[in-house]
Amino acid sequence: MAEIAWPWQYNFPPFFTIQPHSETRQKQLAAWEELIVQYLKSSKQYIIDVRESQNTPLFSNPAINRKLSQDAVLTILEDMARCGRAAPTDKTKTVWEVYWHSLDEWGNMIYSWVSANGLNNSVCTLFELREGETTEGEEFHGLDVNILTKALKSLEVKGKCELMEFDDNQGVKFF
Amino acid sequence: MRRRAGVGAIQKQQLEREKYREKGSEIQENQFLQMQKQLEVFRENLEEFASKHTNEIKKNAQFRRQFQEMCAAIGVDPLASGKGFWSVLGIGDFYYELGVQIVEVCLATNYKNGGLITLEELRTRLIAARGKAKKHQDITNEDLLAAVKKLKIFGNGFTVVSIGKGKWLVQSIPGELNLDQTLVLQKASSLGTAWISISMLAGDLGWNETRAENALNHMVKEGLAWVDNQDPKETLFWFPSMFSDCVEAAAVS
Repeated sequence: MAEIAWPWQYNFPPFFTIQPHSETRQKQLAAWEELIVQYLKSSKQYIIDVRESQNTPLFSNPAINRKLSQDAVLTILEDMARCGRAAPTDKTKTVWEVYWHSLDEWGNMIYSWVSANGLNNSVCTLFELREGETTEGEEFHGLDVNILTKALKSLEVKGKCELMEFDDNQGVKFF
Repeated sequence: MRRRAGVGAIQKQQLEREKYREKGSEIQENQFLQMQKQLEVFRENLEEFASKHTNEIKKNAQFRRQFQEMCAAIGVDPLASGKGFWSVLGIGDFYYELGVQIVEVCLATNYKNGGLITLEELRTRLIAARGKAKKHQDITNEDLLAAVKKLKIFGNGFTVVSIGKGKWLVQSIPGELNLDQTLVLQKASSLGTAWISISMLAGDLGWNETRAENALNHMVKEGLAWVDNQDPKETLFWFPSMFSDCVEAAAVS
């Protein structure tokens, strides 16, 4: 179970009702988004399944008997998607990837690790990046494979790497 | 033979009355002059006193309050206009400085309380912000009220709302709260719950539903109240400015 410092809003009952007033709602969404990222980070999670959102302590505070409805969760995730902090994995919008950092930021983080370790012009497998001993302690260690791929693609667009496939394995060459 | 009242007698009476009146106004004038003289002397002494004890006034909260009361009693406002003798004392400066700090605290907490803050929270944060270097400068609620009142000259952005029992809220957003909204805040404050509902307003204040709804909806629109739809009975309206977890939460500027 993730241990995080819950913000004051988590104990504030109306926090679990999407606010009708736009200015207040903005503050509310911003607070939720920060909380979601913080929570997922502390438990090393990258995915939110809207159908199961009611079961996580993140969206439900039994102490004050308040829960965030599925619609409300969706509202927040859609707001996060607008600024590139989340994306649905399919059209039904039930399973969402949440980005602690934007894909660009993830990409840059990996690239600066690559540069710092002199791995330019060499090939790494995605497995190495995610699970390798050398990346232990890096924030992207253990990153969801789909998110990792997207982050690398954003690097590829900038011409800093090239994704490649060999056999059953995916690899990446950094420049 | 019955003597009729003569014209002379009437004239005499009139003359006497006039003399009395003259004497009366003379005495009154004397008294007035004397009073004026006394006040003048008092004022002079007060100014002398103030210039001698400026430091003391700035440092000591109780001293400051008594000085304020003294000034108020004789119609002197040491905060009024930068002109003249009083500006030299720098007593106004003390309050201007406080005013600026109040604005800073209000802006820093606006994101969470919507621009409404209890005087206690304001005071706690302000004292924390002033830091240890000036810890001898303890600030009273009276000081804060005096300083906020001075902020009014910038328009209706800053107002103090009395919510009863010596409790105050400082509102740092434009737009005046009407009487009903003030009553709502008073009620919520006296209940100590940080929330209120339409049925409570109807029951405790004898309002009809429309009146309660109008007041509450307006406060939601102003960003002062949050709506909570998950109470089993009815919609609750919460005031973050009175919610203890919010009051204690760190401010982000």
